[in-house]
Amino acid sequence: MDLRTEVLIIGGGATGAGIARDLALRGIPSLLVEKGDFTSGASGRNQGLLHSGARYAVNDPEAARECISENRILRRIAPHCIEPTDGLFVSLPEDGPEYRANFIRACEAVGIDTLPLSPREALSMEPRLNPKIIGAVQVPDGAIDPFTLVVENARDAESRGARFLIHTEVTGLIRDGLRIAGVRVCDRITGEEYAIAATWVINATGAWANRILGLAGLKIALALSKGSMLITNTRLSERVLNRCHPPASGDIIVPNDTVSILGTTSLRAEDMEHYEVTPEEVTFLVVELSRMIPDLKGERFTRAYAGVRPLLQLEETCDDREISRSFALIDHGSCDGIAGLVTITGGKLMTYRLMAEKTVDFLCERMGLHVPCSTHVQRLPGAGQGHTLKDRLARLRRQTPAARGEILCDCELVPREAVDAILREGKVRELQDILHRTRLAKGTCQGGFCVYRLLGLLNELKKDKGSGGSNVVLRGFLEERWKGIRPVLWGTSLKEEELIESIYKGLFNLAPEEPGRQGGGEA
Amino acid sequence: MTKAEEKPILFPKLPDVCVRCATCMTACPVSRVTPRFPGPKQAGPGAQRFRSASEASVDDWIELCTSCHLCDMVCPAGVPISELNLMAKAKYLNERGRTFRDWFLVRSDLFGELAARFSKIVNPLMKNGAVRRLLDALLRIDRRRDLPGYEYPTFRRWFRTRPAPEGGGRKVAYFYGCFTNTNETDVGKAAVEIMEAHGLTVIVPPQRCCGIPRLGVGDLRGAREMGLRNIDLLRPTVREGIDIVFSSTSCGLMLRHEYSRILNLPGAEELAGRLFDICEFLLRLHEEEKSAVTFRPLSMKAAYFAPCHLRSLDIGLPALELLRLIPGLDVRLLDADCCGLGGLYGFKKEKFAIAEEIGKDLTEAVDRMKPDIILTDCEGCRMQIHHLTGLKVLHPLQLLRDALPQPIAHP
Amino acid sequence: MKRFDLIVIGTGLAGLTAARTAVEMGAKVLITGRGMGALTLFGNTIDLLGEIPPETEMAEGIPRWIAAHPEHPYARTGMEGIENALADFRGLFPPPYSFAALGPGNSLLPTGAGTMRPTYLIPATMAAGAAMTPAGTLIVGLRGFKDFQGDTVSLHLKCRGVTLSLPRYGLEGLTALALARLMDEASFRERLGEAIRRQMAGELFIGLPAVLGFRNPAVVLKTLEEITGARVFEIPMLPPSIPGTRVFHRFREELIAKGADFRMGHLVSGANVKDGRCEGITVQNPPLATEYRADRYILATGRFLGGGLWAEMERIVEPLFHIPVFQPGERGKWFGERFFNPKAHPIHRAGIVTDADLRPVDETGRVILENVRAAGSILAHHQAIEEKSREGIDIATGFLAAQRALAS
Repeated sequence: MDLRTEVLIIGGGATGAGIARDLALRGIPSLLVEKGDFTSGASGRNQGLLHSGARYAVNDPEAARECISENRILRRIAPHCIEPTDGLFVSLPEDGPEYRANFIRACEAVGIDTLPLSPREALSMEPRLNPKIIGAVQVPDGAIDPFTLVVENARDAESRGARFLIHTEVTGLIRDGLRIAGVRVCDRITGEEYAIAATWVINATGAWANRILGLAGLKIALALSKGSMLITNTRLSERVLNRCHPPASGDIIVPNDTVSILGTTSLRAEDMEHYEVTPEEVTFLVVELSRMIPDLKGERFTRAYAGVRPLLQLEETCDDREISRSFALIDHGSCDGIAGLVTITGGKLMTYRLMAEKTVDFLCERMGLHVPCSTHVQRLPGAGQGHTLKDRLARLRRQTPAARGEILCDCELVPREAVDAILREGKVRELQDILHRTRLAKGTCQGGFCVYRLLGLLNELKKDKGSGGSNVVLRGFLEERWKGIRPVLWGTSLKEEELIESIYKGLFNLAPEEPGRQGGGEA
Repeated sequence: MTKAEEKPILFPKLPDVCVRCATCMTACPVSRVTPRFPGPKQAGPGAQRFRSASEASVDDWIELCTSCHLCDMVCPAGVPISELNLMAKAKYLNERGRTFRDWFLVRSDLFGELAARFSKIVNPLMKNGAVRRLLDALLRIDRRRDLPGYEYPTFRRWFRTRPAPEGGGRKVAYFYGCFTNTNETDVGKAAVEIMEAHGLTVIVPPQRCCGIPRLGVGDLRGAREMGLRNIDLLRPTVREGIDIVFSSTSCGLMLRHEYSRILNLPGAEELAGRLFDICEFLLRLHEEEKSAVTFRPLSMKAAYFAPCHLRSLDIGLPALELLRLIPGLDVRLLDADCCGLGGLYGFKKEKFAIAEEIGKDLTEAVDRMKPDIILTDCEGCRMQIHHLTGLKVLHPLQLLRDALPQPIAHP
Repeated sequence: MKRFDLIVIGTGLAGLTAARTAVEMGAKVLITGRGMGALTLFGNTIDLLGEIPPETEMAEGIPRWIAAHPEHPYARTGMEGIENALADFRGLFPPPYSFAALGPGNSLLPTGAGTMRPTYLIPATMAAGAAMTPAGTLIVGLRGFKDFQGDTVSLHLKCRGVTLSLPRYGLEGLTALALARLMDEASFRERLGEAIRRQMAGELFIGLPAVLGFRNPAVVLKTLEEITGARVFEIPMLPPSIPGTRVFHRFREELIAKGADFRMGHLVSGANVKDGRCEGITVQNPPLATEYRADRYILATGRFLGGGLWAEMERIVEPLFHIPVFQPGERGKWFGERFFNPKAHPIHRAGIVTDADLRPVDETGRVILENVRAAGSILAHHQAIEEKSREGIDIATGFLAAQRALAS
């Protein structure tokens, strides 16, 4: 099954999906391939912060300006992916009032609205803050849901003709003389291999940029930086909380729906596929952030995760296509003599739209098209349908049980119909795809109960197709879940784990597949 | 509708320790009979993650919680589920406003005194079909529910006007509770007689309704007012080192625990140190051999039902142990979790069916045991069990009084 | 202030067993605790040592195990102790709802995940599951009851499965307890039986979720078997466990009837220890803290779930008496890299180490508290999950602790 497209985008993160949408809005067809599900890279492993840019105002005003501009645009085009929580930059005695004054000036210089607050005001807004704070500054930070953002970009693009193939990995670049003419791919679920011919190949793979470039013998100077984050069981604050000091590790807490995300660290990562949150990082984050929220040490954590960010070593990019100090668009035609291949990398979730805009501007210029970008004004589909925590709770009030429907995930109140809708769309191919698209298994027990129920639902469907069941999927889920849970197993989380382990390994007697194991596993 | 003007309830920082084990789901009497109430796991700690002090409440099903506290008792992690529910209910009702019916029903102390004084008129009216249908339609007080009859003189009047006994023994104060005062004066009389038979001198200090009906409709401010008043009134007794006993387990729970735990009232702790369930108190006298009372034999089969609020007091089953001191009495614990009435809950039209359904279990337990008499320390349970079975239901004190060595005749 | 002969702290199966054993020996017992232990979570049958292959007799396999694991709780009880304790347990459940071993060794029963698991003492309502055959079994799920996924079970067990709509209710989340109580009603179970019968295609076994009645499971079983003409069995599912709840209630009923003081719901927050003896324990019921005294105490407060052990960020502690806990290394080593680790996670070895009398000892083996004994899953050096030994350890050590306590 060989395919053909004008623009082939590699990478289903925010950048890739943003490019597909920008192209689609300008009437240019594209095909996007992603080896996992949407946001399997850094787009799905960040703190979910809608930057105001305040964080960079002092040290990197250009980056700050970029951020606040995109902040405003995203609020306009994707309000349903955003919770406009506002943020506080909190000064502890050791941070000093001078930095704070400097900070306010710097924000104002780049156009970020600030509101200075006294300690009393800040504490009444966020009672869990350290009572010793010497002041706070309110800025327009917010919380963003990256998955919905990316999927909405994809959905909009698709409705205008773009195509998406997830679970499709690029295994080779097809050269035609000094030009890249397409890619070779492998469907990770079926194993099928085929080729996709394309005029342009956009490498939007973020931290995997060199993996793709390596297929053509190319490389850019990219460092990989791992950042770890912790998720609490309950939401610690209404607003984003930042330390008002030079950007460092362990200085930001982002609220997200029912939980809070603590971050982050920054350690060199060597391996893109295998990295984990270490006990030292966990201890560091808890200790460091307890300076802002003193009773953090007694707080309950449900999960830890890490993401790898691509960091540009800027001085080494040869090309004057470098648009911004924070991201780079590299035309390998002019840089390396290999035409038809473009890499867009660096950047952050916040600036995805801008990165996409610059990429597509470049492409249009090369294609001789003069269509302006409209992604900064066109709203994403679904914009206008917000749903708050309160709305999710409200479904419990429907009087007749039939109207209420079956709730699969008790912790996050995810109903069966949400899953049915996803399955009906027909795009998902494995369990994690479903889990990405709902909040199922993202609550207190991290899927302990609801995944059993979800699998039951899937088995119900499989039964109709005559295929057998296998607890392989359940085991796979439990193993995947383990990666996130293991780093935070103490206190109440440990109790939770005892429960889950006792259910699946004890009561259900699931075991790793081992032949001859006593009664273990399959009948 | 009566709107309350209170500032928003801020959810107190309660420990986040629920591990979703669902043990509480085996104890909740409401969720076992109706899916309209999602059950303690979902209603308490589950929903708590979605609630915010600054957003409007949407959990109207929270009113279906009866505050029986059975969930708290079985939670291995110590999640204060019923407290979470109560806070949510209070916020919800503050926002929605409470009905006139609820405003009226929780002022049982005021209207009770009046009704008692005019009991000769009120009682027949309360049994009159037309009146009941009217109450049902206008106030949504279910007409299938027997309403308690009023008695005059009230217990307090009886105590004040009776010839004073000898006295000279250790003083003990009695908190009688609204229901004893105006609807079941014999319980109070039995309490006094038993205490006097044990050589104690009973005093009845000034006191008010404990306030638990207000708590039941989430009226924290009203409950607080009543609590502060009671603490004031009882303080002199407490300061004199006199113990205070209660015969209603719900009043007891309110005075001894909820004043402090939920309402955080100054002086509550001091009061709590002096409060005892009357059976707990009497049993201790027997155990410490400070009592010369030996009960007469009573040959009958009695069923004892442990009210939810008694279980919440966590004092064991002192009434049952006291009853076991009566020779010849075959007394057994009824195997049922909750009677279903939930205080004022089961009187309300929208909750009547739930209360009935919960109580079925108890009816079946009674059928299995076939007792001559049923005993329980909570007036709500007594009303409910009588309503469900038609059998006579007494406070254990009333039977103990009959087993006193010299049964005291009273008018 | 009343003094008890024995205070049992913990209302899980170990504590309940200890209290009952003591009451049978004529002691005045107070049992206090919070929760119902693992009974209401995953306690459906009585596991003894599931690790022993079904072909091996327990009478042979267990002594061998004990010899190979001298630190294991069973080494304290010995085989005879286990047998006596189990016999006592069985005595609490006279027919028709009785617990029995189906053979001299373990039996395999189907689970809610469609796997088979080894177990030993089985209640009457589950026994037929050991004899089920794929071709001859129909698995019945109930629509709207999401904690039992019938299709998962039937697919894995390779038998026919069907999902019934409940006669009176539509699609909604009924709780396990609500269902179990419905089953106790004759009209409901008869209609259910009829509905099952209409779906049968000659099967000899019917598997249902473990909700076959709360009060009258034997009657429910009998009715369904009569109507369907097949052998019926219930299958354990996600918590809460109704079969476990039945066990809890039986114990509670018995303890109260025999005069034990049964208290539930509040934390035992403190222990008054003087010169290596416990003088009393304090139970918190805010704002009051009440002290209870006895000559002897049994600590059966469970593991992490029960609160018997608590994991701080750096070490594991026993929060009531502060008895030193056997530590499984530092936090990074508590758990293996994989959920399905080849060996049990090291943390499961943590717990209280005791002498032969179940009295806690320190690293040198010296007895720490003269009149306190530990029983149940709080004990070190066992792995209930992998061994499938949870209930056996609870019952055997609860029994032993009470006997030894009252002998002292």
